[in-house]
Order: sequence, then structure tokens, then C-alpha cells
Amino acid sequence: MLYHRLFAACLLLACVGLGLTAWGYHAPYSYEPVGPRAYPLMLLVLLGAGALLLVCKPRLETGDEAEPRIVPAMLRKTLICLALMLALAALFERVGFIVTATLFGFGMARLFGGRWLPSAILAVVLGIGLYFLFDRILDVPLPMGVLAVLEN
Amino acid sequence: MDTLQYLGQGFGVALSPNNLVTALAGTTIGTIVGLLPGLGPINGVALLIPVAFALGLPPETALILLASVYLGCEYGGRISSILLNIPGEASAVMTTLDGYPLARQGKGGIALSISAWSSFIGGMIATVGVVAFAPLLAGWAVSFGPAEYFMLMVFAIVCLAGMAGDKPVKTAVAVLMGLMLSCVGIDANSGVYRFTFGSLGLSDGIQFVVLVLGLFSISEILMLLERTHHGQTAVRASGRMLFNFKEGASVFGTNIRSGLLGFIFGILPGAGATLASAVAYMSEKRMAGASGRFGDGDLRGLAAPETANSASACGSMVPMLTLGIPGSGTTAVMLGALTLYNITPGPLLFQNQPEIVWGLIASLFVANVILIVMNIPMINVFTRILSVPNWTLVPAIAIITSIGVYAVHATTFDLFLMIAIGVFGYILRKLDFPLSALLLGFILGGMMESNLRRALSISDGDLGILWNSPITLGLWVLVAFMVALPFWRAYRGRRALPLPDAA
Repeated sequence: MLYHRLFAACLLLACVGLGLTAWGYHAPYSYEPVGPRAYPLMLLVLLGAGALLLVCKPRLETGDEAEPRIVPAMLRKTLICLALMLALAALFERVGFIVTATLFGFGMARLFGGRWLPSAILAVVLGIGLYFLFDRILDVPLPMGVLAVLEN
Repeated sequence: MDTLQYLGQGFGVALSPNNLVTALAGTTIGTIVGLLPGLGPINGVALLIPVAFALGLPPETALILLASVYLGCEYGGRISSILLNIPGEASAVMTTLDGYPLARQGKGGIALSISAWSSFIGGMIATVGVVAFAPLLAGWAVSFGPAEYFMLMVFAIVCLAGMAGDKPVKTAVAVLMGLMLSCVGIDANSGVYRFTFGSLGLSDGIQFVVLVLGLFSISEILMLLERTHHGQTAVRASGRMLFNFKEGASVFGTNIRSGLLGFIFGILPGAGATLASAVAYMSEKRMAGASGRFGDGDLRGLAAPETANSASACGSMVPMLTLGIPGSGTTAVMLGALTLYNITPGPLLFQNQPEIVWGLIASLFVANVILIVMNIPMINVFTRILSVPNWTLVPAIAIITSIGVYAVHATTFDLFLMIAIGVFGYILRKLDFPLSALLLGFILGGMMESNLRRALSISDGDLGILWNSPITLGLWVLVAFMVALPFWRAYRGRRALPLPDAA
């Protein structure tokens, strides 16, 4: 029940924090009786009440078997996956879609248990194939990045 | 009959070559999306929105695409349920109970064809229901003012929590989190920046494509990490591929009953396909009594959830089109797509843009026919897709998701935001909060606030407007009933059958 309780407590804290922020919202000119802060505050009160209930009675809707277990090997994999995604986001525009997607695709394929060579082939196919599919056929513009020199 | 005339016009729209090709593409994509792990109707539909936008599809075509993907998913979800015992998406959970035993008994072909047939009947019953009910409801809803709309949304939300079965508090908390997330950004009425914390990227709010793909795709990818299996060996669909007349007749009653039930559940906000299929299965099991072999490969146990989930998918178009209030996670996404096109769904849509509404309704018929025609001969192709291992699938899904998010605004800020939302969604899933409730809250949030403020502007701040008309009063009674429902259930003891959650 620890994680459930911890989450509910964080939620409660967030409600208080957001409530304090929302308290300061004030419209300089107002043409209507309800300002910008009443509605979020109303939601925060309800949300806070729900969070409080879950802090006090975490067992209300969850059995003990529903408690997530943290397995170190799993946690490591999850963090690697997140790091890959963050790298994708960070390099998407700077390095360009094709290179980033190929590297990312290779990392993810390895993470999900692909062997070296098939993963590499898959990654190259995905990087180039998806670029052509989206940028050229479906009209979704994607950044070229470092490969921009190849474009005449 | 005005309705029939409009429906005729709708078929004119739906059967135009462009829209027909769109429906064909949509149903194919939908079936594949439905059977792959990691993609369900919600993120499948969300992924296509940026593409539809980039291709410059007119609104009715875009909507037909999204609707046919949705229906295709309900068809596709059953394939992996029957052959692998793994539901492709949440609403296909009940299908595994009798579908997999049938496949194990060597009746995979029959199971697949009869479930496709059931989905077809369910979809047809519900689409006829849409034709009959939607104009009536729209005609009635024209008289709704902002106060009525606000109360209607309160009802939708309370309904969601009340119907959630075993965890009303968590559902309510999830909805409220969604409502809060919709507050982020500039307040349209006063121009005040709310909860942006000085970030420019947040100033016009969280884009709903970012939220949907973060919540459903990224969190799903993280969940998939836990079961990195190398493809699966599906039970081969051998033997007779088509069911015979006797088998078809034996489930016909089940089809009709479950179709009606699914349609009603589809209309109710928040109930959706998952609940509909569960209730249909349970009630058929109870009706069959000792004569049934439910859980052991009874055809009725396969037909009931399949009929109900596609009926409910079609039925959920009713509140979306007539009231602008989504009845399920997927219609919530479609609603978001419409707002990107600056179209506000609601009763006026029937008067102002009948070609969109009726084109969509007619395309539900068309998509259902395409799906049944396509599903029986192509089943082997779809089965082969099931054996694609995760290491090829997940990188592709992850990259396509990123493209979808990037396409909305062409900023990498949205990519980071999507990852953050994805982690949040992953934690919520681990702690058993229903994500579709959060999504519904997010979509309803903006409309709810603006209707509340408009209502109070009309009454000059007098809260009485929220309960002074007969309609609002009636909605209060329904709200009170829905709030009382979980308490009554708890009072009756924890004897109730556990229902799978709608995440």
C-alpha cells in the first residue's frame, strides 16, 4: 500500500501547491461574474478531497496484490527506454529525423530483445522508410538536420 | 421522411470514390491497429489526426477515416483474443473466454467468422439506432442552454465514476486530473495564464494529441517492456473457415439482445465498449443457465461480447454527434479532431452541416459492410501480422508516435511533454487508475468551464440557473442517482462480479 499512499500524498501536495498558485489568478478587467480562478479552485478542492480519501484509506479500492513491485532489472530497462525517448526528443530537430530515428530504432530494437544485425537493418529501414512515407507521401514535414547538405 | 432523405444524402457523401477509398484504408488500418499489442483504438485514432490534417482531408473525409479506424479496431481486437488468448485491446477481454477454447478445439476458423458476423450485426443494429435516435436527440438538444450543457457534462462525469464498478473514487480522481490538465494555458475569457509556470510551450494549453499519445502510446510501450516476448505462436485457424447456418441461427438471439444492449451502453456517457461486452457476456451466461458451456467454447459466449462491443462503438457516436459529449475514450479523441477543424459538434451540426453528420452515419454502414467482406477472406493475412515480434513492432510504434506529436506544432517541446505525460500515465496505470477517464475529463474540461461561466454570466452570478429549469433539475436527479449507485453497490456487499476496467 506504500506506493498507493505515496502517490495520493503527492497528489494532495500538488493540489495544495496548485491551489496557492491559482489563488493569485486575477483578471485585470472582468466582464463576467466568474473570474479565472473559481473553476480551477473548485476542481482542486474536489481533487484534494479524493486524494485525502486515498491517503487515509488506500485499501478502499485496491487489494494487496495490486501493489506494484519494483524489480531492479525492470527498473533499469524502463530507465534506458526513457533515456532513449528523451534522446530522440532532444536530437529530433538538431540532428534530423533520419539519423535520430535510426539510432533510436536500433536502441529500442535491442532493448526489446532483437539481435544485433536484424536490429540494425530494421533501424535503417525504419529511419529512411518512415521519412519517405511521412515527409514525401503524407506531407508531414520532418526535419532533415545534418543531412540537409544532401538536399540539393 | 426527412431522416431517410438525409440518410440518402449521407450515402451520397460516403459512397463518393474518395470517401470510399478512405473507408477502405481506415478499416484496414483499424483492423491491424486493433490486433497489434501497444496500439488500440484511442491512440490509433489519435495518430491519424495529424496525418489527416497534413493531407488536407476535408472534415467529413477525416471523420470517416477516424470512424472506420475505430470500427476496424473493434473487429481486429478479436483476432488476437481468439488465436492467442491475448486481447488486442480492452474491450476484447471477454472474447478470450470462449474464443480461445474454440480455437484450441480446432474451430478457430468458425470462431473468427462467427465473431466477424456478430460484430457486423452489432454494428448494423447500432447504426440503425443512430439513424433513429440521433435526429430526435439533436432536435431536443437544440433548446439546451449553457446551464443544461454544464449539468449534462457533470452527469457524464458522474456516470463515468458511477459505472466504473469497483473503483469509483479512483475514476473520479482520474477525471478530475483530466479536468485540471485542461485548465493549463491562457484562459480564453480573461487572458490570464494559468498553470503555465512561465513556459511558452504550455501557453496555449496541452495539445490533446500530445496528451493522448503520451498517456496511451508511451505508457503502453513502457508496459510492454515487461513482456518482451519474441512473437507468439498463434493457434492455427484450421478446418472450416465459415460457420454454417445452424451455428449462425444458434447465436442469432444472442446477437440481437447483445446488439441492443451494446447500443444502449454506447449511448450512455462513460460506459463504453468494455463494460458493454462484459455485461452482454454475463447476461447471456445467466440466460443460458445449465445448457451453456460458457468459458469452454460456447458460440454464444463468443457472439455476445463481439456483438456488444461493436454496437457500443457505433452507439457512442450518438452523444458525440448530437450533444458534443463523448461517450468513450475514442469518441473523445474524434471530438478533439473535430475541434481542430473548428467544428463544434452538437445539435446545430445537424442543421448547419448535415453532410458531415449524415456522411459519417452512412459511412458506419459502409465500413461495417467492408469489414465483414474483408475479414473473412483476409483472415490469414491478419493472422500473419500477429507473429511480428515486439522488437520490430515497438520501435516502429515509438517513432510513428513521435512523428504524430511533432506534426501537430513542429516543436520538440511537445515531444518532451509527451514523454512526461507518458511517465505519469505509466505510474497511473501501475496504480490502477483508469486512463480513459482522465482523457474524457481532459476533453470535457474546456467545454465544461466555458459553459459554466457562460451560464453564470447570463444569470449575473446567480447559481440558481443551474437548477431552475426542468431539464437541469432532471439531470440533478440523475446525478444524485449515479452518485448513490456505488454506495448502494457497496452496501449490497462485495458480491458483484468484477468487471475489467476501461483503461
